[in-house]
This record gives sequence, structure tokens and C-alpha cells, in this order.
Amino acid sequence: MVLRSLQTRIIVFFVLLLCILQGMALFLMSAANERIAKNQIAQELVVGERVFRRLLEQNSQQLAQAASVLAADFAFREAIATRDEGTIASVLGNHGRRINANVVMLADLDKKLLADSLHATATQSTFPFPTLIESAQQHGRASDTVLMDGRPYQLVVVPVLAPIPIAWVAMGFVIDDSVAQDLQALSGLQVSFLSRSGNGSWTVHASTLPSASRGELAAHLGVPGATLTLPLAGEDYETRRSILHERGDVQITAVLQRALKEGLAPFTRLRDTLIALALASIALSILGSVLIARSIAGPINRLAGVARKVRDGDYSQKAESGRSDEIGDFADSFNYMLEGIFERESKILRLAYEDTLTGLPNRAMFIDRLEQAIQASRRSGEPVVVMMMDLNRFKPINDSLGHPVGDQVLQEVARRLRDSLRESETVARFGGDEFAVLLPVGGMQRATSAVNQIERALASPILTQGQPIDLGASIGIAVFPSYAEDSTTLIRHADIAMYVAKRNSASFTAYEPDFEQGKPSQLSLLGELRSAVEEDQLTLYYQPKVDLRSGASGSVEALVRWVHPKRGFVSPIDFIPFAEQTGYIKAVTRWVLERALRQCGEWHMRGLDVKISINMSARDLNAELPVMVSELTARFRIPLPLVCLEITESAVMEDPARALETLERLHQLGIRLSIDDFGTGHSSLAYIRKLPVKEMKIDRSFVRNMVADKDDAVIVRSTIELGHNMGLKVVAEGVEDHAALMLLTKLGCDEAQGYFIAKPLPPEEYEAWLRRRQEIGDKLTESGFISDRRP
Amino acid sequence: MIRSACLGAVFVAACAPAAAGTLSAIVTDAGGAPVADAVIYAVALGARPAVAPRPAIMDQVNKEYFPLVVPVQVGAAVTFPNKDNIRHQVYSFSPAKVFEMKLYAGTPAKPVVFDKPGAVVLGCNIHDWMVGYIYVVDTPYFAKTGKAGSARLEALPPGDYQVRVWHPYMKAEAALLTLNLAEGATGDASFRLELSAPQKVPPAEK
Repeated sequence: MVLRSLQTRIIVFFVLLLCILQGMALFLMSAANERIAKNQIAQELVVGERVFRRLLEQNSQQLAQAASVLAADFAFREAIATRDEGTIASVLGNHGRRINANVVMLADLDKKLLADSLHATATQSTFPFPTLIESAQQHGRASDTVLMDGRPYQLVVVPVLAPIPIAWVAMGFVIDDSVAQDLQALSGLQVSFLSRSGNGSWTVHASTLPSASRGELAAHLGVPGATLTLPLAGEDYETRRSILHERGDVQITAVLQRALKEGLAPFTRLRDTLIALALASIALSILGSVLIARSIAGPINRLAGVARKVRDGDYSQKAESGRSDEIGDFADSFNYMLEGIFERESKILRLAYEDTLTGLPNRAMFIDRLEQAIQASRRSGEPVVVMMMDLNRFKPINDSLGHPVGDQVLQEVARRLRDSLRESETVARFGGDEFAVLLPVGGMQRATSAVNQIERALASPILTQGQPIDLGASIGIAVFPSYAEDSTTLIRHADIAMYVAKRNSASFTAYEPDFEQGKPSQLSLLGELRSAVEEDQLTLYYQPKVDLRSGASGSVEALVRWVHPKRGFVSPIDFIPFAEQTGYIKAVTRWVLERALRQCGEWHMRGLDVKISINMSARDLNAELPVMVSELTARFRIPLPLVCLEITESAVMEDPARALETLERLHQLGIRLSIDDFGTGHSSLAYIRKLPVKEMKIDRSFVRNMVADKDDAVIVRSTIELGHNMGLKVVAEGVEDHAALMLLTKLGCDEAQGYFIAKPLPPEEYEAWLRRRQEIGDKLTESGFISDRRP
Repeated sequence: MIRSACLGAVFVAACAPAAAGTLSAIVTDAGGAPVADAVIYAVALGARPAVAPRPAIMDQVNKEYFPLVVPVQVGAAVTFPNKDNIRHQVYSFSPAKVFEMKLYAGTPAKPVVFDKPGAVVLGCNIHDWMVGYIYVVDTPYFAKTGKAGSARLEALPPGDYQVRVWHPYMKAEAALLTLNLAEGATGDASFRLELSAPQKVPPAEK
């Protein structure tokens, strides 16, 4: 619409401009022409009047000449000389007819009327126009325009010579329309004759005007001499008056006129031609504007169309180029822009769907292709195989040889995997040492052969920095549509199968529903644990510890709880070991650390200094841990002595050297360390003595039974003594009854925790518990122990 | 000798009885210039002696009447000899004598007798400019002034006369003079005339 209006605007602008210019030109020209025409007509009228006057004079001279000739006729003179009235009257009539005179009169030398062809009885009266005779006496002849019986006549008076004047003959010629027409033919003007008496109204006697205009002319007649414009019967006439006779009362005037229209006629023709030219030029300019506007708007419209295609992701079209003008430049720039956008989009797509390290598709792309394969499978019934693969022993390699080597190993594995699979099959890297394979056709049979190919591909050691590295893989296989309806489930099944394979040290395992039925919580929880962390299904509870000597409670152990939306409460015992096994424990630990320290920070801010113990797994004992802890304590502004990390004996023993290094670093930071589950591992005391720990915890399995089992009691007492001898604080966990508590106190144990004292509590409840204890006073009496189990 | 106005005194010297008297007249115009071609005629108031009228001649010379004025006594016969080598026509519509002579050459056989007193204006129908005057008087005593404006009437018997003047261009009738002429005496008369311009058609050719 904008482009349409651009086109319209171009057309409208040029056409309007042209119309205004042409209109102004026409207006000015018309005004000038009318002025010129009026001047011209006025000039014509002046000239016309002279011509008219001259004509009138010639006319009268001719009449006078004719009259003179008649008067000189011998027979006429003879008849006049007879003085016989009848004879005179008849000769006057006869000779008058010879020259078509309308009236003939005879007067004697005394101006007495002898005969009058108009008035037979008018004899003996005086000739009505004596001045004419006087004029004729002087000039030999005289003529005038006179009014007789209300009609205008051109009257000539000549003497009758015998051979001296013996009488005067007057011959009159009536001025009628035909006279006017003759004059019009010669002068080219409209001629009218009018008369009036005194200041009375004008009477039109003869005219070349149409009869309708005559009355109006009489009404409109103005001052003499001046040219004026009279509208007569709807037409404008330029008018000029010429007085013919003005004697006494009577005035006879000729009116000369020319229709303005006639004067304007040449100009009108010129104007019509110009209007035609103007219309033609406007039409041409409209045409031109349309063509120009189209040549602009058309390509822009097409460019807009291409742009819309690009918006919808279609890069197949290009803007038409090849024009050498600005629009061509625009189209070229547009095309460069398209190429740029296309390239960048491809790159972004690659980044979005490709694993940058190995160049393999990433998880997102894998899932895309899997969805497509599932769609195809739904139509064709061809089973789709997903295989999840995890490298064995990759972590120690990465840890010991460093990331660059690990990356090289991953790249080499990716290459080998890619080479061992068909073009139509997809291998993707999900992250870390986790790979996924999609076999869209072939089903389980193809899966088995693919596994063989992969095993062969990974059989030869990978050489990095001249060092051969042996890698094995655990592969889990899941098939659509068996047991799975969608891609997510299919991947989870493959994942579970892979862990089963890993646990069983098998090279591959196909998914069976039994995997989840047998120990449903562990296997299926693995996938869900990821989302649990992300969706905050995990929470932290805090189990108070009590000082057995003072009865005070200033420390807690943070314990993770998982409230599964379907399964409900899931015990840490059910998922922590599994998380440790899969390595996902790192994410869990990180989450727990952050939550616990934030809580600690909050309490500290409110003046409640609670020492927090957090359980660490063997996998957490790496160089990242001290960094993470110091970062978090700094972020939450926690005094470092409030933080205590609990490490199981077995965790330390898994990689003693690294654990020692990490613990040293933590110790240097000022973090307190505690050996958890003491007595269950197989550590040497010599080694433990090297650790920078401040505390040891006696495992709940000993504490729970020590009242009933004397052996356990011995172990507990020995452990307490051992700990004290090593300068460690000893904490007993799993205290579930008063007797155990009393025994521990007797044995000199420093702190205790357990359900008898308090179960793990949410933070608010812990605070409430703490307040209650403070109200009672932190007394360690037999019955004074605060416990939520107490009635 | 010029007397004032129209009513100039007439001095008549007495002559011997039975001897004829003479009348000497002079005619001037309003400006005092002598007027030629004026006819002076004296009409006897007493007994009129019968005198036979003398014939007269009006010539046509060079397409003009000549002389302009021919005074004749009533009953005089005037011949109109044509001296030109073309024909002329002579006409008059004057009340004193209406006549017409058809085209002729030479001297016509029959003269025209003018039997009524008065002015007869002569024209020629083929030459409009030709004007001539025959002035017919009822007295034998008349004369025409010459270029000097004077005329002389002789052989007038003694007695009372009315003396009149006529000129073709005069505007009005001049006052007549009455005088007594003694025997053998010479009377003087003078007239002053108001003249108008001659009304003549210019000649087409000559």
C-alpha cells in the first residue's frame, strides 16, 4: 500500500503541477486575449465608424448626384415650369421612382412646399427642413438624415436649374434594414439606426441585429463616442455611437457594434488548440508518471516480495538485478545482504546443531533427526534404533592428561564412530564422553553389527602425544517402537541400558523394561534427577547436632531431600550412590553447596551462626571444589569456620593423592573437614593422620546397635578414644534413643545427632526447634533432651 | 459723380424745349465698384410716343451667351445666331417668355419675339453652364452699363420718367427714381446695387 501510494504520489504531483501551470497559462492568455480582443474591436469600431461615415457620405453624394441629374432633366424642368400641381406631383413621382427615392418634395425659392409625395395635401406649407435648402444654396446640394413620420430618411436637396435655380427638389431614401445590411456588408459591423426625441427613450428604426436584441439595444444605449460593452440577447457587443443628426429636439444616431465573440473567435480557436495541447500533455504526463512510478514501485514491490520470502526462511529467490540505476544498486545491495544473512544463518544453525569440538551433530540436532526418523517409522513400520555410548576410563584420562588430550581423544573417537557408520545414520555427541547413535533402518540386526563396528573402531589404541590410550565403550540400545512412544523416552531407555551395560561391564545392553522394574527408583531416577535439579525438586533439610557436654546446639548437617512430583519422597540413599556412579553427583553437590551456603549466609546475616556440615562425594574431590567453595562463601559472606565438609572414608581412599591435595587446599582456606562414616572403609590410620581433618563421625551402623551389642559399643568407645588421641572431635550419628545418648555422653563423645535429638528439619522448623531449646535451656539431663519424638 | 445711397438726388439741367434730353446713369455695387451689365430703363409717366422696337441679337460664342444681358423693348425680335461649330439649344422657362429652340446651328431663320416685359433667363439644354438674360422692358428708353458702370439714355423727350435698374445678380428690386427731364437737358441717375454671386454651373468644357 505504501508503494502504491508512492506511485500515486508521483503521478498526482506531476499531473497537478502540469494542470496548475497549464491552467495558469490558459487563464493569463485568456485574460490577455480578451483585453487584446476588446482593444482590437474598439479600434475596429473607430475605423468602422470612419468607414461608416464615409459610406454614408458617399451614399448621400450618390443620391444627391442622382437627384441632381434628375433635377436637370429637361422634361422634369419643363414640367416644374408649368407650375401645374398635378403635373408636378406626377413628375415628382415618376422621376423619384427612377432613382428609387422613397419621398420626393418640391419647394420654391421661398422654401414654400410645392409638392410632397408623402403628403398630398401638404402644399402651401413650408418645407420642413429649411436649413437643408440654405445649405444647398451655398453648396449646390445638401443632405442630411432626418426623421419624417417617425422614420429616418436620408434626404438630399438639389436645385432645379433653368439654368439658374427655380425650385428645390428634395429626395428622401428611407433608412431600413436593407440599408443597414448594405452598410454592414461594407463596414463589417452591426449597424443600427435609432432616434429619440429630447431625452425620451430610443427607438430602433433599422438594424442588422436580430429583432430580439433591438429592444435591449434601445434600453442600453449609453453616451456617444465611447466604446462600451452591451449585453444583447446573451451576447456581448462592443458598441460605438455615431450621431447622424442632432437638431432641435431630435437626435438620430447610428450604433455600430461588433460581437465580442467574433473578435474573440481567433483567440477562442487558439485557446481550444491550447486546451487540446494541454489535455494531450497532461495525458502524456500521466502516462509518463505511471511508467516512471511503475519502474520505481514495481521493482520495489518485487523486492518487498523477496524480503517477505526471506522472512519466511526462503532464500531461493534473489532480487532482480541488472538495472544500471539506483534501483539496480538497491537490488544488488539487497542480494549481498541476502547472501550475508544466509551465510550467518547457516553458521548460527551450524552452531546450534553442531558440536564444535568434534563437528558431530549435537543433542538438539540428534533429537530433530530422531523425531523425523520416528515420524518416518510410524508410516513405514521400520524400527528406529537409538544407541547411547559412554567411554570407559575417559575421566581418568581427561583428569590426568589434561583437557587438550581429552579433546583430542574425543575428536578421534568421533572420527572413528563416524567412519564406522553409514551415511544415513547419525552419530552425535551429547557432551562429555557421551555419544548417541541413530540408526533409522535395520533395527536390532543393524544395531548389533553397528556395535561390532564401533568396538572394532575403538579397539586400536588412540595415540596422543606418542602415548597409546586404550578406550572401551559401554553402549545402551533402545528401539522404537518397542517400549517407547517418543524420542525422550527412547533416549532415556538407551541411557538406562547403557548404565546397565556399564555396571555389568558388558560392551552393550539392549533396554529391557525389567531394568526399571527391578530397582525402579535408581534407574529411572537418573534421567529425572537432571530435571529435579533444574526444576528445584530438591530441597535441603538440616539435622541439628548437639554438644554432649554443654547441651548446646550450634551446628547442623545439611541433607538433601528429593520430593518427586510422582514418586513423592525419595531417599538420598536411593539416588546419591547412583548419582555418584554416573558422575551427576557433581551437579547435585554444586546445587547442595550453593543452597546450604546461602542458608548459612542468611542465618549469619540474622546473627545466627550455625555451623553447617555438607557431604562431599569422592567425585567432588578435585581442584574445582576449593575454588567453588571459596567463591560461594565469598558470595554469601560466610565466615569460613562455619563451613564443614564431610568426606566419606571410601571417597578419600578412591584417589588418595588427589583427595589429599584437595583437602589441603580446603584446609588452607580455613574450611573445616570431617571424616564421615568412619569405620566402614578400609583406610589406614597412618593415612588418615595425614589428612587435615578436625572431626570424625562414627557411622550410624555402630551407634544404632551399641546399647544392645557389646562389640559395637567397644568399637564406638575405641573409635572415640582413637579420635581423641588423634586430636579430632568425635561426632556420633544415628542416635535414636536416650540410652545411646547417655552411653555416648559417658564414653566422652563430643557431639551427637540423630532422630532422638531431632530429625532433619526445614530451615524454619530448625529455627523454631532452636528457639524451643533455648527457652528450656540447653540442658543435657536424662529427660531434658529436646526431641520431637518426645511426647 | 457719386451720390449717396439709393435715394440720390437727381439734378436735371433744363434744356431747350423740343430738343431731346439725355439721361446719364451710373451703377455701383455695395462696395462702390462699377457694375457692368445693369439695365437702366426709363418709363415715361406721361404720353408714350409709339416707338417701334428694335430687333436684337443674342450670340452664342464659345459656348456662352454673348452678351450676358440683352435689354429689349416689348415686341422686339431677338435672333440667336450660333457662332460655335456645334449645335446649341436655347430655352427659357421664365414667365416673361417660355420658349424652346431645338438644336440648331448657324442663325435660325425665325427670331423670337419677346412680347411681355420681364426677365427671361436663357439656358442651353446641352450646356448647363450657359446662362443668358433677355431683359424685356416696356419702354424704348433703355441702356446697359458698360465696364465703367455707366449708361447713357439718349433722345428722351422732355417729361417725367421713372428710372429703373435691373441686374441679373441683384438681390432685391432697386428703388426707382422719378425724374423730370427738361428739353435738351441731361439728367443724372446713380444706383447702388446689392449683388449676389452669380449662380452658375461650372462649365464642363469650353
